[in-house]
Amino acid sequence: MIPVIETRHLSKEYKISIKQPGVKGVLRSFFKKEYRSVHAVKDLTIQINKGELVGFLGPNGAGKTTTLKLLSGLLYPTSGSLSILGFIPSNRERAFQKKFSMVMGQRTQLWWDLPARETFKLNQKIYEVPDSIYKKWVEELIDLLDLKELVELPVKKLSLGERMKAELCCALIHSPEILLLDEPTLGLDLIMQKKLRSFIQSYNEKTGATILLTSHNMSDVEELCKRVMIIDEGQLLFDGALEKIVHHFAPDKVVTLSTSTPLVKEQLEKMGKIVAMNGKTASIEVPRQAVMSRLQALFSQGTLIDLSIEEMSIEEIIRRAFLKASSLKEIEPRTKESLEPSPEEKPNTSERLLP
Amino acid sequence: MKKYWQVFQISLQQELYYRASFIMDRARSITIVIAFYAFWTALFSDRATLLGFSKSQMLTYVLGMNILRALIFSDKTWEMLREINMGRLSYYLIRPISYIRYCLCRDMADKCMHLVSSVLEVSFALLILNIPFYVPRDFLTVLTFLTASAFAMLLYFLMTYAVGALAFWTAESMGPRFCFELFLEFAAGAFFPLDVLPRSLKTAFELLPFSSLLYFPLNIFLERLDPEALLRGFAIQIFWIGIFFYFTRAIWNKGLQAYCAEGG
Repeated sequence: MIPVIETRHLSKEYKISIKQPGVKGVLRSFFKKEYRSVHAVKDLTIQINKGELVGFLGPNGAGKTTTLKLLSGLLYPTSGSLSILGFIPSNRERAFQKKFSMVMGQRTQLWWDLPARETFKLNQKIYEVPDSIYKKWVEELIDLLDLKELVELPVKKLSLGERMKAELCCALIHSPEILLLDEPTLGLDLIMQKKLRSFIQSYNEKTGATILLTSHNMSDVEELCKRVMIIDEGQLLFDGALEKIVHHFAPDKVVTLSTSTPLVKEQLEKMGKIVAMNGKTASIEVPRQAVMSRLQALFSQGTLIDLSIEEMSIEEIIRRAFLKASSLKEIEPRTKESLEPSPEEKPNTSERLLP
Repeated sequence: MKKYWQVFQISLQQELYYRASFIMDRARSITIVIAFYAFWTALFSDRATLLGFSKSQMLTYVLGMNILRALIFSDKTWEMLREINMGRLSYYLIRPISYIRYCLCRDMADKCMHLVSSVLEVSFALLILNIPFYVPRDFLTVLTFLTASAFAMLLYFLMTYAVGALAFWTAESMGPRFCFELFLEFAAGAFFPLDVLPRSLKTAFELLPFSSLLYFPLNIFLERLDPEALLRGFAIQIFWIGIFFYFTRAIWNKGLQAYCAEGG
């Protein structure tokens, strides 16, 4: 496997000005600007191989976008190093720029008042794509993205979802080897999200391009990415296969049961942590290895009407990952993967953090 | 350089899209022409020369001003300020294109549109109002005038981009830009020839970069300059171009470094 994106101890610190509220605050900051420094990315070391489709997850302000901006060469790192396809992005070499593309969810590179096709043509010239290749490729993209007559309309007439598709098309005119997508599904409805995802996937399979996408939408990652990186407060919390996260941060399964007689709290507490209890129904988090043995007791009582055993939702798991991280700050992010505690002996740190 | 040609074309399309605001802008300059035509015609009703101008020279100054403003004072730097403030500049920085050259092409498209329109307006005014147009006696004058106008364009470009670079540090770059424009119009002689100023003030204004933009090229066209004044004018132009060339480049390099792709 060939690593195409590599960062080593990458850090980025910003200075942002602080404004006090009110007129007084404005006047004060007019004469004396105060700054606060923000550590947007801390000691990030990652390696992404050719053809990988990696999801970059994190809450708002976690440092996802900053990382993408560092990778695209828009920002200079404060310390550490990075290379993409052997180039140093912040040098902004033409040869590098022709090989990658970035789509920023909230921004558009399309000319607002003109049909999207005009910006496609502009990008063709900017990236110096030969006419013969462009003509075939752009029609293929338009077809795949189901854009058709939409590319002939002024961009401002398009809906958010349609615009995002046009945006993607525009970013792919030069068939980039590296594609950075920042929140590509932000603000889109579910159907459009699905369409975009399946397009991203097929682009990845078809061209073998390496794709890194950020999202705080779990479904993006669940459907698309085998590999996930979780980042919070600029630090990498997890890097690995999606299934592994489940074992990592969700040692419990959720057992939901209904019985014919009222449930006794003390009895349920022996099984695991009660999440919800309402007369004859309850949800309990049970350590995954102990699920069967602990359920046996219930079966023998013979009052069981309904039973379901489920994995926690990925959203919940990720949420726990973040919560856990903030309570386990002293542990190095890298070592966490090997730090998997056995469910039985695991102290239930998330307990008090649940709502 | 096909990419920049494409930028020019797409910018032209964009200009055509905003017909209403373009027409408004032209209406503004036509109003200025009519106002000054009426003003100077009234003043020349009982005299042959004023401030060293003959009537035909003064009216040609007014008409020439319309054309030169269209050629020199048209630009898309407002757009640039927005792009920097909104972070759209990012998309230019990650593509294999030079943002400055891109801006230049966009400006050129704007200049083309305004120039064509302005030439039509002036021809129309000449026909309708029967204005005595001052025709230079020497063909060399026209060449010198065109050279000075080209320098003026370059200088204006450098000046506006220096002011525009403020957007890298403040979200309120529109204010300074507006002040700059107001002073620029006056100091360049876009309202009145600088000859209306007291002698000492006029000399001072002539040393500023602004007078090089309109007042100086128009004076060449009207053949009001002796060789010495001509040389001095070119020296002033070239001096300021040199200054702004280094200043603008330095401030842009600094600005780009400071640019942190706002938002997100």
